Amino acid sequence: MENKKYAVLIIDDHPLITEAYKTAFNFYSKQNEDVIFTIQTAMNCDSAFELINEFSSKEKRLHIVFLDIKLPPSKNGKILSGEDLGIKIKKLLPDTKIVISTTFNDNYRIQSIFKSLDPDGFLIKNDITPKDLLETIETILFDPPYYSKTVVKLLRKQVTNDFLLDSIDRKILHELSIGTRMKDLPDILPLSIAGIEKRKRNLKLIFNINSPDDKELLLIAREKGFI
Amino acid sequence: MSPKPIFQRFFVLLIFGLHILSCVNESVKAKPSIEINDSIAVWIAASKSKVLSKIERKKRLIKSYEAIRASKIDSLQLRYLSAISYQHLKLGDTLLFRKRNKEALFFAEKLKDNFALGDLHWNCASFYINSQLYNKAFYHFNLAHRYFDRGDYLNESAMTEFGMAFIKGRFKDYHGSEILIFKAINKFKRIENYKELCSSYNHLGQLQSDIKEYDRALYYYNKAIEYVDKVKNNQYLYSVIYNNIGNVFLEKKEYAEAIRYYDKVLEDKEKFKNINDFARVKDNKAYCRFLMKDTTNVAASFKEVLQIRDSVNNVGGLIISKKHLGEYYAYKQDTLAAINYITEANSLAKSNKNSRDYLETLYLLSIIDHKNSSKYLKKHVLFNDSMQIVERKIQNRFTRIAYETDEYKVENERLSLQKIWILFTSFALISILSLVYFLRVQKSKNENLQLENQQQKANEKIYLITLHQQEKLEKEKIKDRNRIAAELHDGILSKLFGARVGLGFIDIIGSKVLKDKHQLFLDELQIIEKEIREVSHVLSNNSEGTQINFTTIISQLLDNKCKTGNIKYVLDFNKHIQWQIIDEKTKVNLYRILQEALQNILKYAFAENISVNFSLGATKKLSIVIKDDGVGFEVEKKRKGIGIKNMKSRIDELNGTFHIYSQPNQGTTIEIQMPI
Repeated sequence: MENKKYAVLIIDDHPLITEAYKTAFNFYSKQNEDVIFTIQTAMNCDSAFELINEFSSKEKRLHIVFLDIKLPPSKNGKILSGEDLGIKIKKLLPDTKIVISTTFNDNYRIQSIFKSLDPDGFLIKNDITPKDLLETIETILFDPPYYSKTVVKLLRKQVTNDFLLDSIDRKILHELSIGTRMKDLPDILPLSIAGIEKRKRNLKLIFNINSPDDKELLLIAREKGFI
Repeated sequence: MSPKPIFQRFFVLLIFGLHILSCVNESVKAKPSIEINDSIAVWIAASKSKVLSKIERKKRLIKSYEAIRASKIDSLQLRYLSAISYQHLKLGDTLLFRKRNKEALFFAEKLKDNFALGDLHWNCASFYINSQLYNKAFYHFNLAHRYFDRGDYLNESAMTEFGMAFIKGRFKDYHGSEILIFKAINKFKRIENYKELCSSYNHLGQLQSDIKEYDRALYYYNKAIEYVDKVKNNQYLYSVIYNNIGNVFLEKKEYAEAIRYYDKVLEDKEKFKNINDFARVKDNKAYCRFLMKDTTNVAASFKEVLQIRDSVNNVGGLIISKKHLGEYYAYKQDTLAAINYITEANSLAKSNKNSRDYLETLYLLSIIDHKNSSKYLKKHVLFNDSMQIVERKIQNRFTRIAYETDEYKVENERLSLQKIWILFTSFALISILSLVYFLRVQKSKNENLQLENQQQKANEKIYLITLHQQEKLEKEKIKDRNRIAAELHDGILSKLFGARVGLGFIDIIGSKVLKDKHQLFLDELQIIEKEIREVSHVLSNNSEGTQINFTTIISQLLDNKCKTGNIKYVLDFNKHIQWQIIDEKTKVNLYRILQEALQNILKYAFAENISVNFSLGATKKLSIVIKDDGVGFEVEKKRKGIGIKNMKSRIDELNGTFHIYSQPNQGTTIEIQMPI
């Protein structure tokens, strides 16, 4: 079997995690000697973006990116999170397989990441064990995608739901769930109060809720996997 | 010779006056009306009857007096009382007279009965004239006159003026007497009282004769006679006036003319009511003849008269008779007899306090008794002087009494004016004070209301501030919780994960047990991670309780109130009301209004069911209907209480409308509409 070299970029602000991933890759390469990884790490958006640019400019191939979502934003404030970084990667290095590795496990974020990045791997950090990690590497290399348990569950839930919620509906639900006030919503969303109220009424209709307040709406939305 | 027997004339007048008074009283007092009054009148009339003995008459008076005292005293009874007192006077019982008169005066003062007051003072005046206390008599005449004047009793007023004129005349205040008598004549003319006119002119004639204006005197006597012609039963009046005319002629030394008049009187002895009158005229005629030096039978006439007078104990007459006899004997040169008679007359006059006759007899003695002439003359002069002083003093006193009465009148008027002023000013003062008091009370009430209002506003502000504060606090709390959640999630969880995975890849060489244990701890770590994640989620799950939920607050309020009042309630919110966009101030006001309305229902309505409905009307208006099935009230009649006023002012502040519909026993509905 031909030795295969893979360039890997691990982006995470916690050295412990980058180290752990590194160990996992090395472990895998130890077990499968024909697979060799050249591993680089980045601890923040700026350094990550620098490396990505380097790959892009030198037209070097970057095979796998392990991307954390919560990252220290770039100094110029253009890249705020792993999600933004992912978009850059997709643009600059379209062949790179992106593996999201995050602690976020709320449905809304997961969905939004799916929408924006369509990752080859989606790991919810706390779902995975070292074994899972090795499996992830294997799957990513040969038969992507790999989604960890929580993600799979969510996707399944969504498939079974026939609700039609657009991104604004989801955003409203999300904002309400994190406790944003109604009067502040127009600043966040491209909608007026009345528009938001209308959408909310619509959402309640969809979820078949009679109560005038939002508590029940959020409860159901969470149950249905929208937040 | 000295002026003729004036004393006699006064005596006549005195009787004459009293006679008139009694006539007046009779006419007034004969007005019976009710049964008791009938019997009283009968008794009083009986008491006047000369058929009955004095004791019987007195008994009748006492009986009628008791009957009057048994009933309530009104003005009619008062007149009877006055009549009774007068009858006592006539019967000579001065003690009972004074008692009754005093009593009657008391009641008259109480009833303010001018006639009775006048009448009673007149009684007093009569009493004092009888007692020859002319000062006091004058005083009472004056008072009586004042009361009669006040009550517009013309006849009585004139009578009292006549009485005063008489007294003034007696004390030689001729001018004052004349003024009074003219006043009386005016009044008598108005009421055509000819008898009194005759008396008045007779009096005027006497006054003129006293000041030796004989022609004028005759003129007045003739006037008197004119009026006598118009009076029935006028014989007595004729005799009086003819006698007086005779006296004038006597003074004028026209003796023949004088005798003609005397004879006119003496024609018919029968017409004399009083033997004294007859004696007087007879004496006058005899004296006239004596002056004409026609002494035949003069002494016999004098003696006859003396006898008549002695028989009826007419002291005044006796003095004159004795004086005349003395003069007669002096003329006959029988000095001893003359001195005897005149001395007797002199001592009688002295004891009888008849000053005029006393003076005359002294003068006569000084002429006749040559030995003691100077002594008598001296006495005469001394007494004359003192008498003049006394008379002047009395005259002055009359003036003073009249003046004092006038002054009293003026003072009275002034006092009553003052009273009116005091009454008016005190009334004005009281009204001003009460107005001031009222205004003050109103003002303080207003201030209280304003204060209450301000306090309420302040309370609301505090409420809003605390609300804001709470909101802020809540925000901070959420922020904090979010921070902690993020820290847990992003920091600790990640590190833990890293550590776990790192640990997982460490190849442990050892027994299977050890390896299993290693795996177990790794799994345990994963579970811990999960728990931390959950904690973090719970921490960041802030949707509940972040917004103060108006509907919940309202339903809590309703729930609380209805529980205390044991009332069932229905609360309905329209789904489309966007409470989030309604500002806090509006919500506070709505909350307060509902609170007030519920309070009122609990306090007054005794309702069993309440329904509260929040709905959206057309044109984006919020409408609230609060309905109860309590006792209700009449909206128009009921004064609006502070509660309703407060509700209304709150609604006004929100530019809303406020209506109450209610009727007794049909519950109350409050409708509120306001723009959002």
